[in-house]
Amino acid sequence: MTRAKIEGALLGAFAAFLLAVPWLVPAIADRFWVSVITEILIWSLFAASVNLLFGYVGLLSFGQALFFGCGMYGVAIGIAKLGLGFWPALGLGVACSAAMALVAGVFAVRLTWHYFAIITVVFSLIFYFLALTLRQLTGGDDGTSFALPVTFRLGAMELSLADKTFQYFFILVIVSSCFFVMRRLTASPLGRALAAIRENDTRAALIGLNVYMLRLAAFVISGVLAGISGALFAFFGRYASATYMFYQVSGEAVVWTIVGGAGTLLGPLIGTSLFIVMREVVSTRWEHHGLIVGVVAILVVIFAPSGIVGLWREMVERFVHRP
Amino acid sequence: MSQPVLQIEGLTKRFGGLIAVDNVSLALAPRRLHAIIGPNGAGKTTLFNLVCGFLSADAGRVFSAGRDIGGLKPHQISRLGIARTLQIKSVFNRLSVEENIWIAAHARNRFLHPLRSAEKDRGTREKVERVLEEVGLSALAQREAGALSYGDVALLEIGIALAQEPRLLLLDEPICGMSPAETGRTVAKIRQLAARIDIVIIEHDMEVVFEIADDITVMAQGAVLASGAPDVIARDERVREAYLGQPDDEDFTEPAHA
Amino acid sequence: MLEVVLVLAVNGLIWGLIIALIALGLSIIFGLLDIINIAHGDFFMIGTVLAWTVLMQSGSLWPAFLIAPLIGFALGALIQRIVIQPIRNAAALSIVATFGLSLILQESVRMTFGPTPRRILAPIPGTLHLFGINYELYRLFAALIALAAISGFFVFLHRTKVGMWMRAVRHDRDTAIAMGIPANRVYMVTFALGFALAALGGVVAAPITTVDFRAGVDILPFCFMAVIIGGLGNLPGTAAAAVLLAFLEGVIASFADPTYARITSLVLMSVVLLARPQGLFRGLAR
Repeated sequence: MTRAKIEGALLGAFAAFLLAVPWLVPAIADRFWVSVITEILIWSLFAASVNLLFGYVGLLSFGQALFFGCGMYGVAIGIAKLGLGFWPALGLGVACSAAMALVAGVFAVRLTWHYFAIITVVFSLIFYFLALTLRQLTGGDDGTSFALPVTFRLGAMELSLADKTFQYFFILVIVSSCFFVMRRLTASPLGRALAAIRENDTRAALIGLNVYMLRLAAFVISGVLAGISGALFAFFGRYASATYMFYQVSGEAVVWTIVGGAGTLLGPLIGTSLFIVMREVVSTRWEHHGLIVGVVAILVVIFAPSGIVGLWREMVERFVHRP
Repeated sequence: MSQPVLQIEGLTKRFGGLIAVDNVSLALAPRRLHAIIGPNGAGKTTLFNLVCGFLSADAGRVFSAGRDIGGLKPHQISRLGIARTLQIKSVFNRLSVEENIWIAAHARNRFLHPLRSAEKDRGTREKVERVLEEVGLSALAQREAGALSYGDVALLEIGIALAQEPRLLLLDEPICGMSPAETGRTVAKIRQLAARIDIVIIEHDMEVVFEIADDITVMAQGAVLASGAPDVIARDERVREAYLGQPDDEDFTEPAHA
Repeated sequence: MLEVVLVLAVNGLIWGLIIALIALGLSIIFGLLDIINIAHGDFFMIGTVLAWTVLMQSGSLWPAFLIAPLIGFALGALIQRIVIQPIRNAAALSIVATFGLSLILQESVRMTFGPTPRRILAPIPGTLHLFGINYELYRLFAALIALAAISGFFVFLHRTKVGMWMRAVRHDRDTAIAMGIPANRVYMVTFALGFALAALGGVVAAPITTVDFRAGVDILPFCFMAVIIGGLGNLPGTAAAAVLLAFLEGVIASFADPTYARITSLVLMSVVLLARPQGLFRGLAR
């Protein structure tokens, strides 16, 4: 009985659960929770983008909402203003966030530590305000909605996200693919080089790693992940709004990541699930769930900085190695 | 007569009003182990920092195998085959010993594959095992680097440097903090390496220096005080005064004769 | 037309002095405790709420000028002990902690005070007629108070024992400890003082702006701009940058969308971060 075996079994059970959600969940709770779980998947991808930079490379970005917004608006503007179909709009969203991440990263990655965090916020604020002023294009704070184009067309049969079950599986496939890619990445030579930079960037440079380039690569990958989550969000809600580019959105994702467990693959998913479920459960009775988020954030940082996954691992190790 | 593996000409570095390295010139002949000694603050580590690209010189030039490496970034200089250990031991603490060496061994690859599993890379894995053997850390391969004893971290540093397959090895106080047994082992290892890699070593332990060095440069207050073969240095009056101490001094060290 | 520009420019100047007060608090927290205090704008917001509360309870705004900084100081000391001190070693996580703090402060105020913005009437009504323009008397008074507070702060920093301790710890923590300076107490005082300055700024600004649980969110980026552009650790520079930025934004706002003014300042901030991280006003630093 090792930790790896226990976690493997749990993962399997979890995967089975995820596959059964559209039928299992309405049977034991309200159908509305399928939408919530779909939303959790989207936001956990966003948190994963924060996690990639912070947990694996050691860069704390407080401005991932910028790339989320690029993905979101790429889709929204692509469909509403450019008349694009589903896939071109998705492509536009991802391409925009990749381009933005490259341009922003070229500058941001030259800084480290506090200054890096600050400049990521500054960049995201600049574009937040731009999105506010370009109301014609973006709908500003109020947002803009659009009609959902069809996803797949096979002869007479159409598949679109309007079908909640198809929407769930579509998003599940994309999000899990991204998580799978992240898993491969962290175990790859590139992943190891990034870990080295995180641990000791001076040493990393001394052994021949181009720290700047590698950080930039990680920044762009992370930006693309955030962009994908933004694009999915736009499709999910058929809606885009500048409020989602504000730094508080980035900040919440950081909290979800750290509470879940930074530097672990599923930490972001666990943290995001916890907070969104809590929000849904609490907000029907009490509208100040933000208070709970704040308190939990502080408690975790003081008492359990390695997050839920970190605590879990400690517990399991102690259990597995009990005398 | 082949190109000197390291040639420094008139290297100078100032920090504000302080001259840390003062017009230093040095030529490292191939296959010779060159030791740099001197009191604290003599500028030895600063010299290393200049050579490996951490600092930029105010004047002077550094050549490696005939190529001017001034102005290159540390990772570029490393790729030219110059590896360095640091005075304050610095490794990848939360990674395992094996991962530390793996990363150093693989770092020369321009392209780092983003998706393939690192463990499956057989070539690098074999290199890693060889290096672990060479520095004697095979048994500790899975241990977290941050949990190692000070002496083992120093060995790991040397291992990381070796994994880069360098032509030139800059060792900054490699045996500092080691137990006598570890020191003996490491000194023997350095001697062994000197047969195939050019080495420049900064050291304080005079016994070790006079035991293994082929050439010695003495630095004081940023400048070169004397340079030459060990017995010449040992007899040099200025060196004795500045560093080794006079025969009546209790700190006086009688250098071992080869 | 010129009158409009002039009024907006002067308003910007006055607003800049108030921001300078708040930004100084942020600067000492950032400079001494190495913390990016995301809750700092909310400290200001608490000041405005305290002003409103004092006004409602006592019928006058004047007591708030003393009460708010005192409460701010006490709260700051408490927060430093409970939240900041335990995580001194995890610098990156301190951002998360201050973010959590910001959420707590905002939600607490929303819970007790309510979500609707309120307005406070200026305690000194009326205008002063100068150079053909009417200036609100209270705004001029606010500028004077801010100026007095800023001067008092610098006097404190350079003429008192605690102020000297703060400068010593900022300059070289280890030597300061070796000299017997109680570093932990200095950290507590610094954080508390930062809160107090922001709270005072809140009281001064309350009649000029709205009292609203979201007021801190707008102020925060501006304060950071002042700190970065003025130069981290450069207190006079931070104050000067705050005034300059507010003045510039005021001028730009007179003929363009104020959001563009904000965007311009942010771009300037990025340039400073990338090209001259020590700030623009190096000459002013001691």
